[in-house]
Amino acid sequence: MNLLRTGKNGLVFQLHQREQELLLHMLKLYPLVPASHHRLSQNTDAPRADENQRLLEEALAERRQENRRQVLAMVEEPARFRKTKIGLELTVSPAQIEWLLQVLNDVRVGSWLMLGEPEPGDEPAVTKANAKYLLALELCGVFESVLLTGLGVGESPDWAGG
Amino acid sequence: MAETEVLPDIEREEKTGSKSELEPGWLVVCWNDPINLMTYVTHVFQTVFGWTKQKAEHHMLQVHRQGKSVLARTTMEKAEHFVHELQKYTLHATMERES
Repeated sequence: MNLLRTGKNGLVFQLHQREQELLLHMLKLYPLVPASHHRLSQNTDAPRADENQRLLEEALAERRQENRRQVLAMVEEPARFRKTKIGLELTVSPAQIEWLLQVLNDVRVGSWLMLGEPEPGDEPAVTKANAKYLLALELCGVFESVLLTGLGVGESPDWAGG
Repeated sequence: MAETEVLPDIEREEKTGSKSELEPGWLVVCWNDPINLMTYVTHVFQTVFGWTKQKAEHHMLQVHRQGKSVLARTTMEKAEHFVHELQKYTLHATMERES
């Protein structure tokens, strides 16, 4: 999958049939991060901490529902992927890229949580039980990188040695 | 990663409401998370705060190298908003009372 061009309706990505299948498969895994994962504050003594935490979880749940609706719309709307001689074209507006990034990163972080939050380079060996999450971790990262490159966000040499 | 106290370049909100609403006593903090891509974190900071790429990268590198970065110093209500926005992108963000 790579950026083909920037059109008036958004960014146009080119992808192969297999890449489309993998992208849709990743999207179908959403959501993976448990609602209770997010904390509003590390200080549980903050004013109205419980109430605010509940409100946060409700707001995130609403957002998830909306993202899920858009995921299903994409999965169930094959016309969104236009067939070409060499594969498929996917046109996504800037707003759609934002929810795609949110969904893919939820699956990526959720997979990482399922794997026991390993440090980079310390991922567990592949087993029948964890293969799905190791694959999702890698694939979602690849798709995110392609979308971010399309938005003009790339790595800088200054980041080396982090 | 060792946790170091980060001295933020703090965002001060313009004073336009009542005194209690204007108390900028809350910090929006983003914590290091080895899973999120550096490019992704930079993009999210630009999107949520409307920052330039340079400023977003500066805070992303603070998170990456120092364990956390204070992204804003603001009112409770606005801090809640920012934390919610960051968490929509699955970043590890919290709001903390300024000591």
